[in-house]
Amino acid sequence: MTPSLGTHIAFGVLATFAVLTGWRVFCTDSMVRASFFLLLSFIAVGGIMILLTAEYLGVAMFFMMAVEMMVMALFMVMFMMNPAGLNPMKMVHQERVAIAAGVIAFIVLSAVAVLSDFPDAPLPAEHAPVISLGRELLGDSMLVFETAGVVLLTTMVGVVVLSSRRGRYGRADEGSMPPGLMPGGEPAGQPSEEEEGEHTHHHH
Amino acid sequence: MILDQLILPWLLAWLVAGLGAYLVAVLDRLMATGSAQAKSVWLAPLASAAWLMTQQATTTEAPDAPAWRLAPALYLALAATGLALVPWSPTLVGVDLSTSLVLWGSLEALATVVIFLHGWSANSHLALIGAYRYVALGLSYLLISMFVLIGVALPAESLRLTEVVAAQASLWHVVSQPLGLPLFLVVGLGLTFWGPLDLADSEDLSGGTAVERSGPPRLVWALARAAMLVAFSAIAATAFLGGWMGPWLPGPAWLLIKSLAVLVALLWLGRRLPRLAPERCVTLMWVLLLPLSFVDLIWAGAVALWMA
Repeated sequence: MTPSLGTHIAFGVLATFAVLTGWRVFCTDSMVRASFFLLLSFIAVGGIMILLTAEYLGVAMFFMMAVEMMVMALFMVMFMMNPAGLNPMKMVHQERVAIAAGVIAFIVLSAVAVLSDFPDAPLPAEHAPVISLGRELLGDSMLVFETAGVVLLTTMVGVVVLSSRRGRYGRADEGSMPPGLMPGGEPAGQPSEEEEGEHTHHHH
Repeated sequence: MILDQLILPWLLAWLVAGLGAYLVAVLDRLMATGSAQAKSVWLAPLASAAWLMTQQATTTEAPDAPAWRLAPALYLALAATGLALVPWSPTLVGVDLSTSLVLWGSLEALATVVIFLHGWSANSHLALIGAYRYVALGLSYLLISMFVLIGVALPAESLRLTEVVAAQASLWHVVSQPLGLPLFLVVGLGLTFWGPLDLADSEDLSGGTAVERSGPPRLVWALARAAMLVAFSAIAATAFLGGWMGPWLPGPAWLLIKSLAVLVALLWLGRRLPRLAPERCVTLMWVLLLPLSFVDLIWAGAVALWMA
């Protein structure tokens, strides 16, 4: 199957969009903006995967990256104590190392693209990308994928248990208190009543 | 080829999105007021749309300009994309992708991003609270949606919506998977933050993510929510009510009737169900509805094996 002119144009547009939005990730000054520029870049890559007839992987890229970038933006904002994610911050670090790594990666990947001898294997007429992917995932590689899946699920359950609303010291919306140092003792690390009265205006 | 694959889906999706959104406004008013003021029911949505069109589009002090401008349009585009996936008959399908069910799932996921950006980009606190609320809720019901949709794909042995419909020839999924449609309707109310699940644009936040919106963009935002409700109804009718299938009438007519039934059910539920506080709503989703969606998936798998 020879790609049509429309496919070539779509590839050009999507590839340019992916590179431009990928570049914008490092120009912006906000974590939320950076996450969603990265999402745009991934969506363009997903479009290219659909052009390559990897229909399931391309569409899966959309929903996986949408949820992933949303969660990433949310968690970054939560951990950075920047409630809106609108405060400006620098998105690039260790610039020299990063530039060197980028140049090397670009040269290596370009060399692969230009110098390697790609196989000429036209798609069979009855090509069914979803079914063949399913056979690959649940055929020969089933043990690997299932093991990874169970490990990831266990991790997720563990994370939810650790970070659940109950918290370590009781439900957050009922006023959580740390446990005592002795069983049944006073909550540990709490300032005593009179001490708090004295030092109200001091910063510890 | 260009007519078939580009212009037809485009026309179909936008026509249904526009007319459907108008219908949502009419039906919702009809349910709120009863039939006494039938005349104003038909004209009132047009009047309020015209009023919004003539208003100035105000902006906040320092919004995130691209997201602020684009969010309503992007949400409308997601709704239209969803409508393009709906099969009207075995041959009349806007976009017949072999993974259209997964693409619908990713539209739901992308809607979370767009609604978040709508509230976040305004740079205003009530809008921001609405945005974060939506993320918490959206992530909760996305999983429910995924499991319910996998259950629908199982008997079809395909992720293509036309084959999902074809697999319901003997028995509709609303009967063979009794938990599926009720759970999916909750997802629909959440996706469009309608009725009791309107916690992102709710009154207690003075309009939430849309609090700073005025003029034409506000109209687009309202239109997008209604269009998304229509798209969702059409997808639900396709996935659970046998899509185009039915006696006497042609396929597209059956799909219209079924989608309308789902739409009316959603609007009625939106008016009748009690509202919950956001944190209780998240607990309900994770503790009750998500396990129920597991049950639905196991049920669907067992039924598919038994019927095969």
